[in-house]
Amino acid sequence: MLGYILTIANFACIYALAILGLNILTGYAKQVSLGHAAIFALGAYSQALLVTKAGIPFFASLILASLISSIIGMLFGLPSLRVSHDHLVLTTIGLNFIVVAIVEYFDFFGGALGIVGLGTPQIFGHLLATREYLILVVGLLILALIFCWFFSRTWAKLLMEAIGEDELAAAVLGINVARIKLLAFAVSSALTGLAGALWAQYIGSVFPKNFGLELSITMLSMLVFGGMGTIRGALFGALFLYCLPEALRFIQNYRMLLNGVLLAAMVIWQPSGILGKGGLLDWQNIVRKRKAQ
Amino acid sequence: MGQIIANAVILGCTYALMAIGLNMVYGLLKILHVAHAGIYTLGAYVGLLIFRTLTKSLWPGLVCAMVAAGFAGVAIFHILYKPVLRRPRYIALIASAGIFAASQELFRLIAGPYPYAFPAQFVFPAIRTKFFYLTSTQMLILSFTVVSFIVLYFLISRTKIGLAWQACMQDMDIAGTSGINVNRVITLNFFLGSALAGAAGILVALYRNSVFPTMGALVSYKAFVVVVLGGLGSMPGAVVAAMLLALVESLLSAAPWFEFPRDALAFLTMTIILLFRPKGLFKR
Amino acid sequence: MRRVFIILALFAVCAFGQQAIKVGFIAPLTGPAAADGFSALQSALLAVDYINAHGGINGVPLELVYYDDALSPDQAAALTRKLIEGDKVVAVVSGSYSSTSRAAAAVCQELKVPFVAAYAVHPSIVQVGEYAFRVGMAAQIQGRIGGYFAVRELGAKRIAFLIMNNDFGISLAQAFKDAATSLGATIVYEKRYPVGETEFRDYLTAIKAADPDLLYAPGYYNEAANITRQFRELGLRCWLMGDEGYDSPKYLELAGPAANGVFITTDLDRDSRRPITQFFLKAYEERTGIPADMVGASAFDAVMIVAHVLRQAGTDPKAFIAYLAELKNFEDAATGPILMFQERTAVRPMQIQIVLNGKFRHFYEYGPEEPIIYYTYP
Repeated sequence: MLGYILTIANFACIYALAILGLNILTGYAKQVSLGHAAIFALGAYSQALLVTKAGIPFFASLILASLISSIIGMLFGLPSLRVSHDHLVLTTIGLNFIVVAIVEYFDFFGGALGIVGLGTPQIFGHLLATREYLILVVGLLILALIFCWFFSRTWAKLLMEAIGEDELAAAVLGINVARIKLLAFAVSSALTGLAGALWAQYIGSVFPKNFGLELSITMLSMLVFGGMGTIRGALFGALFLYCLPEALRFIQNYRMLLNGVLLAAMVIWQPSGILGKGGLLDWQNIVRKRKAQ
Repeated sequence: MGQIIANAVILGCTYALMAIGLNMVYGLLKILHVAHAGIYTLGAYVGLLIFRTLTKSLWPGLVCAMVAAGFAGVAIFHILYKPVLRRPRYIALIASAGIFAASQELFRLIAGPYPYAFPAQFVFPAIRTKFFYLTSTQMLILSFTVVSFIVLYFLISRTKIGLAWQACMQDMDIAGTSGINVNRVITLNFFLGSALAGAAGILVALYRNSVFPTMGALVSYKAFVVVVLGGLGSMPGAVVAAMLLALVESLLSAAPWFEFPRDALAFLTMTIILLFRPKGLFKR
Repeated sequence: MRRVFIILALFAVCAFGQQAIKVGFIAPLTGPAAADGFSALQSALLAVDYINAHGGINGVPLELVYYDDALSPDQAAALTRKLIEGDKVVAVVSGSYSSTSRAAAAVCQELKVPFVAAYAVHPSIVQVGEYAFRVGMAAQIQGRIGGYFAVRELGAKRIAFLIMNNDFGISLAQAFKDAATSLGATIVYEKRYPVGETEFRDYLTAIKAADPDLLYAPGYYNEAANITRQFRELGLRCWLMGDEGYDSPKYLELAGPAANGVFITTDLDRDSRRPITQFFLKAYEERTGIPADMVGASAFDAVMIVAHVLRQAGTDPKAFIAYLAELKNFEDAATGPILMFQERTAVRPMQIQIVLNGKFRHFYEYGPEEPIIYYTYP
């Protein structure tokens, strides 16, 4: 049973990392992205290609994959400079299809046969089985959390939130909207891409069909459920919504149905999510309300 | 070549029928109504139900599908969208996506995961010319689309409620204060749009002879592309964009050296066009 | 006397209440592949019932522990661990597609538990290591046989390809192409289409213009049905040939009369008089109300073979894989006898079936004496 739990923990943390990334773009800068599965795929495929075709060792590949995702993610952000909010959502939806199509049809990316054989990762010759991998993943997650925490105290985050709140007003105030938006895309993609790379390495293979629109929808719902715009919300949403289907396994047949209904219900009645600002369990808010009484 | 264009036109009709409903919802409420695809699938299944239980003829099934879809659409509005109209738009989008995913599962649980054949019977003329050949199913789709649009056009531009509709599309709050029953307009809007989606579902089920739980996903994303390309809120724009998209897809698919999936192609086209004309091809 | 009887009864209860031998099973029961998952699961359960009705594993009942992987490799990997560590299964059977099977196989190899894939075709699945096996025919061999049949028996010289873009379609098409061209045929058209495509008229119009003798369209039954109907609608008159993905009653239902005259390569011979095949076809239809398909038949066979090896070699993993690798002429498989395992993939006679009047009928067979059904070594 332990191996099973550790495996779930591994994936849950990987998704948490990915959602931390999504939070920066969609939570702070309010650029709603339904295409983050494509970013995740960027990281996964980069890792796969670097390890199998270029023979670059595991850890170095992780960093490179994250970097590549960041750069390409920034490119994906270019349309956001021109189109309005709603069009942006559609463009991000399109990203899923475009990225999947590219890796499916060009043999360099493995085509429909995917890329297999990433092998067991090793650091300095030491093999990483599930238990050790979990330590690595948790370590990276903690690093990411620290990074996000510091990031949330920078000017950049404030600027992003300003843009998210009212783009026109921000521009009028002299904020270089384009640069901040691209920065948001870059940082967001770096984190989510890293998660993708970790995912690919852990499974050992990547296939195009793993990264479709459904994954993007799942990722966005994790963020919204947990509480958009907050780090704790991103973390909680990912961990909870990843583990929930596993816990609900005893009603296997109805699992996905419940998932969808739960999502819709949650988002209507508690849109700030569980831990977001003003959310269901936002204790800061609750404490503040109590004090005010 | 003529045949390719003929096929493309029919394909375009199926996109247009879906896009109209999406357009209607978006034009009024600015919501990306992903659950529309669930209504499309519902139409197909209702048609299948009528076919298997009541009569082999297509027409009762078609009518029932449209009615059922219409009501389903209205229900979705009242349960899902009405509570969140004042909130940021992605809330409605996520709720819609959740319901769509749930609906696919619901169809699977009720009807089973296997596709069903749908050989409903109907009589309709076919056309055979030197350049192309349209089967009776294809003619049915074409005629239905044309008739729907003519009806809609008259509804929107010549009737009182159509006028109210246009007012709501421009600014819902002010329309409300002018004495227009905004709720009624929205309800009618959803009913008609969803009925068309239901019709699209049953017609495509007929065209491809299969009904299965995930059939909505295939067409719904394309419909979004059409809506954006046509300029959100513009009906004629949606029709033109649908035909254009279908044409581009078909011509490129027929070309021997081209091998990119249709969906990706549609989105790529959309992204590129949006970069140059952010408001879509037809400004509202 | 009563005391003895009670003691004997208790003994019997203990013997039955004894731990059943558990075999793990993963399949996509929800999501886009739910139809195949359902088929695979029902067939696997059918096999378990059959095995237990025939004495179980040397008197011990067999139990199938199954989970839904929703076609997600994360879940497949986690579930395989759960099966092995939590449920303590002695072997894992995959009734799922390639991406999930690959993930599961990797875990089985790591934990040294035997793994058998029922119908997933990706070559890398058995390459993870000595613990991974496959019961279905290798796509390379199936494609190759298709090519030989098309050129030698049907006399096709100009061949068009409409290929489903996934591991299945691509491997089949490649092998078919190689075989056909080595026998002198020419390729007049070749296109790949995405899984889930429903509109083929454009491709078919171009194919019609290329005037082939035969169109080879490897894929699954949903797309195949659409291809077949549209093929006839557009008036194409060449041969249409498919693969075991077509081997499903749903193909016949969805394609309708258009499927008349279509050939497929498969291992399931529905006209076969082999008792196990007839048993499976009848029992599956009784159990589910729908006629059986190839996916189900493969899952059935996978469980049957696992049970057989367990009976002969016991539950020790090393003994299991040693026995399985050397297994010859296993007859208790619905899809036809398994002659041997090469590269840990089953080698078996291949059927060519033809659709006639809404049914799959036997047309041709490549039996054990045909060299092309074996792997050729590079």
